[in-house]
Amino acid sequence: MSRFFRGGDDSSTDSSSEEEEVYSSEEEEKVKAEDESSSEEESDEEEESEEEEESDSDEEEGPKKKGANRFLQSDDESEEEEEEEQSEDEATTKVKSAKDKRFDELESTISQIQNGQKINDWSLIASEFDKLNRQVVKLQDGSKAPKSYIKAIADLEDFMNETLAKQKVTPKKMNATNARGLNAVKQRIRKNNKDYQTQIDAYRKDADAFMESDDEIPAPKTVSKALRFAEAPVVSAEQQEEDDKGFSTVDSRGKVVQYTPESILKHLRTIIESRGKKNTDRLEQIKVMETLNKVVPITPYQKIRVLQTLISARFDLGAGGAAQMPLDQWKAAERDLASLLEILEKEKDHVVVEGAEEWDDDDKLPTIPEGEKYLKVPGSVVSLIERLDDELTRSLQAIDPHTSEYIDRLTDEGSLYNTIFRGLLYYEHLRKDASLEVPQESLNRIIQRRLDHVYYKPAQVVKILEENAWKQSGDAGKLINILSNYLFENSEGIIRARAMLCQIYFLALHDEYYKSRDLMLTSHLQETIANFDIATQILYNRTLVQVGLCAFRKGLVYDAQNTLQEICGSGRQKELLAQGVMIQRYSQVTPEQERLEKQRQLPFHMHINLELLECVYLTCSMLLEIPLLAQTGSSPDVKKRIISKTYRRMLEYHERQIFTGPPENTRDHVMQASKALAAGEWKKATDFIHSIKIWDLMPNTEDIKTMLAKQIQEEGLRTYLFTYAPFYDTLAIATLSSMFELDSRKVSAVVSKMISHEELAAALDQVTETVIFRKGVELSRLQSLALTLSDKASSLIETNERTLEQKTQGSANAFSRKDNRGGGQRGGRGGARGGARTGGNPQRQAGGTQFTGGALGNAVRG
Amino acid sequence: MASTSPAATNGDAAPASYDLVLKLAPHLDRHMIFPLLEFNAGRLKEDEQDKAREILAAKYALLKKTNMTDYVANLYCELEGLKEPPAEYAERRQKVFHQLEKYEQETAKITELLQRDDVVNNLRSDKVANLEFLKKEHEVTLDMVNALYDFGQLQYSCGNYADASELLYRFRVLSTDNDKVSYATWGRLACEILSMSWESAMEELQKVREGIDTRLANNPLAQLQHRTQLVHWALFPLFNYDKAREPLLDLFFNAGFINTIQANSPWILRYLTVAVITNRGRAKNAGVQQKQMKDIVRIVKQEAYEYQDPVTRFVHALCIDFDFEEAQHQLVLAEEVLRSDFFLLAHADDFVDSARHLIFESYCKIHARISLKDLSARLGLNNDDAEKWIVNLIRDTRLDAKIDYKEGTVVMNHPPSSVYQQVIERTKGGFFRTQVLTAAVAR
Repeated sequence: MSRFFRGGDDSSTDSSSEEEEVYSSEEEEKVKAEDESSSEEESDEEEESEEEEESDSDEEEGPKKKGANRFLQSDDESEEEEEEEQSEDEATTKVKSAKDKRFDELESTISQIQNGQKINDWSLIASEFDKLNRQVVKLQDGSKAPKSYIKAIADLEDFMNETLAKQKVTPKKMNATNARGLNAVKQRIRKNNKDYQTQIDAYRKDADAFMESDDEIPAPKTVSKALRFAEAPVVSAEQQEEDDKGFSTVDSRGKVVQYTPESILKHLRTIIESRGKKNTDRLEQIKVMETLNKVVPITPYQKIRVLQTLISARFDLGAGGAAQMPLDQWKAAERDLASLLEILEKEKDHVVVEGAEEWDDDDKLPTIPEGEKYLKVPGSVVSLIERLDDELTRSLQAIDPHTSEYIDRLTDEGSLYNTIFRGLLYYEHLRKDASLEVPQESLNRIIQRRLDHVYYKPAQVVKILEENAWKQSGDAGKLINILSNYLFENSEGIIRARAMLCQIYFLALHDEYYKSRDLMLTSHLQETIANFDIATQILYNRTLVQVGLCAFRKGLVYDAQNTLQEICGSGRQKELLAQGVMIQRYSQVTPEQERLEKQRQLPFHMHINLELLECVYLTCSMLLEIPLLAQTGSSPDVKKRIISKTYRRMLEYHERQIFTGPPENTRDHVMQASKALAAGEWKKATDFIHSIKIWDLMPNTEDIKTMLAKQIQEEGLRTYLFTYAPFYDTLAIATLSSMFELDSRKVSAVVSKMISHEELAAALDQVTETVIFRKGVELSRLQSLALTLSDKASSLIETNERTLEQKTQGSANAFSRKDNRGGGQRGGRGGARGGARTGGNPQRQAGGTQFTGGALGNAVRG
Repeated sequence: MASTSPAATNGDAAPASYDLVLKLAPHLDRHMIFPLLEFNAGRLKEDEQDKAREILAAKYALLKKTNMTDYVANLYCELEGLKEPPAEYAERRQKVFHQLEKYEQETAKITELLQRDDVVNNLRSDKVANLEFLKKEHEVTLDMVNALYDFGQLQYSCGNYADASELLYRFRVLSTDNDKVSYATWGRLACEILSMSWESAMEELQKVREGIDTRLANNPLAQLQHRTQLVHWALFPLFNYDKAREPLLDLFFNAGFINTIQANSPWILRYLTVAVITNRGRAKNAGVQQKQMKDIVRIVKQEAYEYQDPVTRFVHALCIDFDFEEAQHQLVLAEEVLRSDFFLLAHADDFVDSARHLIFESYCKIHARISLKDLSARLGLNNDDAEKWIVNLIRDTRLDAKIDYKEGTVVMNHPPSSVYQQVIERTKGGFFRTQVLTAAVAR
């Protein structure tokens, strides 16, 4: 048959093909119209179910591809090649519509199967059969499979049965590949043929009539195409007959159920089942559910179920890959979630609880069971809200923050916050009834989400957000306090830590330095932060930075520098704060890691300004380092203490430059200011620092500038004294005071402090108001070497002691170690007690005052 | 160092605003607050009738719940201006007497037993065995032991501190109930403090402290609260019993307690500061005193944002800012504060004297030449007195200083610490430490 058609096709002339086209298109339309009128909906359904099947069979195929199928595959390929050649040949000769081509392929596959039958090659049959099934899906016209296909599979089944019967009788074994092929076909054909059972039956009943019905009609027309189009009306005619038989269920499901309340749930079930499978058209499903939701007046239970499924289906659109959810879908999901909450608020006897039992709702609607107050619907509102939140974040991550699109998107945060807030109210309502056993955790999660949305915002913004949410606004600080305290009392682990950090962050943002610092210290997070997940570590780093900035605004330069040191000194601020990915030069990052890292990035509106951060850090470092440099410069025996390596490196680099132009960026400004300060020109330093533009980003810019000017004056005085002390016998306080524009009381206080801390070998003469520098304090080389030697000796002893103590696990606490309060000279708050001294930085000891350390290395890479 | 002394801004507030009674009260027992109120009432002048009445009302409210019925009745009369107390007080009094009698009977036997030598001699250190022994031989029941506790509480509530203390002591010997024993210890401490027997108070204090350290080790919050309370109670012996000074200072500077003070009750810093400053020269070990001084400076600085009064500001100005004028100013204020403080009244002069020493010491350390006139002004003395004072000081502290009478100056001589001395200092402990090390390795 196929040969005949093809032959006809071949013989058809070019001139006629045009006519064909015209005709066929008309015909097609007609057919379509017919088809549509009968079952538009159905076709959707059909497609879906078929796709399912297909994916099923695909899955089944999976494991079999091993072993013998390798061989088959190669067979396959060669065949395909042949085919390609063929089709190429054909393509060169004439133009055919895609559908025609498919038909041809189908025909050739069928003939291959027939060949296989003749020589009893089951492996060939198996592979061809697979191909056939794949092809037929594409060719399916409406709900009907092509005749030839039906014939082929019917024949094949018969042949297979025969073979199986023969197998039983003859002792001769088939070879392994063949047997396997046979088995495969057997399994698949049974499954497959079920779907076409009616057609096959029709074919079996009267094979000729079945086939002929095709043949007769196309005869007057051009052959191959006619077959296809002619087929359709007949089939549809047949189909109508058959409606009463095999197809009825499928049909009615698609058409009638659509609008009846009883079967909504069945419908939902199919959608849920198809979730996550290949080739599911999610958009289509969403549309179906939307209509469901809109049109049908349904019970709250159904509404809840539909909305739940609908929302998750919307989220599925964004799933997979890094692509974020489409904007309209997000908005729709947000709306749906809102209406879900609305229903739940209205229908108090319906509750959505995690871990509730599924209702068997196929037959009858679930009702509230006897003796219980609620109808429990399985599901989780909090998860939906969380997902919604995450999706927004993801989309914000993807949008360029400098466009207006970003701002538009950001406005959605308000409605999201609203939803979170409503969800929170709902959960609080649920929690009131102990019988529901709503886990504390869900409430915690939702509160955490709320907190996450407010903690980094200034009080005014929070206030607006709150006002929009429920027309009522309290003190933002109080809100944060309540939320985080609640979490602190009722949760543990990560949520607890996060709540704590959020509160600290907020306090630090609002200039409550001491409160935030004390909280940070009492939280003891610096010890355990390394055990938390990366997002929390990032939050910890952010909080740390914020506390540091807060200290700076307060004018506490030392504390600020100390706090920022760990983050800014590492040179990886971007990574540590999740505000950008560093380019890795040496270590190769796998794409997987890179993707994770990208996911962790914070959306732009949450960023802490890195330039400002660097500026603050460098300025603080300058104020501490320059006097220190001056001090160590004049007396070489003082142990070289480095406060900030990063700063030193920059300074060295700056000094190496032969020509220095006017400062351009923040760093240049600070470096030039450092140089000026080191030379005692405090005014110039102040000018440089003041001309940094980024200060404008700080609130109270002027205060900060005056504070800095004051600090520079003082540190300038100290630097001056350190640098020039060796060249003076006496210095009048009045001179110093006019030089640095400080009043003489302040100057003498500074000098007194230096003398008292033995930083300066001098004394004050009260009568003449002068500083007298002591003579003979300059050491000879031998003397300073001796001092160094003695230092080294004692540190050697100490190291030995420590080693021994470690070895014996502290049991040999026999030796009394001196209380080494290292480096706390200048107001060091580190009440350093014993403890292991970390290399070169004694301030960072226990004592309970420093909270750096911990989350660093780990926060970068999982 | 960044923040200049905030003292200058609010240094001149009235001493009344530094009254700590309200802050102390929540951590003290009723009976202990009473003397504080009494003291406040005593300081009032004639024309402050309203305040006197206020205090009277406070006293009444304070004692209403105790069983000191007679006194409460009197207070009530005074407050309401009645001659005869209402009948309910007589009733209550009667009730208390009944209770007393009842307990007396219940505990008579056990008290009698514990006074007999033959019984007491048979008691061992093992409490359980003791109880067994008493049960077997003398038919003492657990209820009788507990009655001792209740009786003690009642006695205390009536103000019979000595009796209460005795009863609680007996109870403690016998009881095996750990919680009650620790309550009894607190109770005894209160009794001893109120009956001013400081030595036994110190013993009890030590016991309470051990209890806190061991029993509450895994309940940080309770530990904190108990420590706070203990610190407050310890103020009584600290300023009333000289021998208690050093052990108590040790206690206060213990890591746990100093943290408690910083976290929960920074106002204690005033007392601690005064105690440390007045302790100078008296301490046997100058090194310890110096260390405590350093600690107090550090803590005062750390807590400056939370608590300030003239005493701590004085320390801040002197030891952190080196602002001598400010220090002098604060000293004057501090003296006033001290004179109006229940605990510190007796130590005001002492404090001022020690503080002057302190000022002078750090002044001398920094200056090479000081004008006598200026110094006397700074110390708040006239010229001759100042001269005498300085001479005494130089003699006492062996300062290397001379008075140049002609110029009217004190000349300091600061010998630079010699390099050789430094090297010797640094290597001094080396040998000993190495020896210890070798010994440890050999073990």
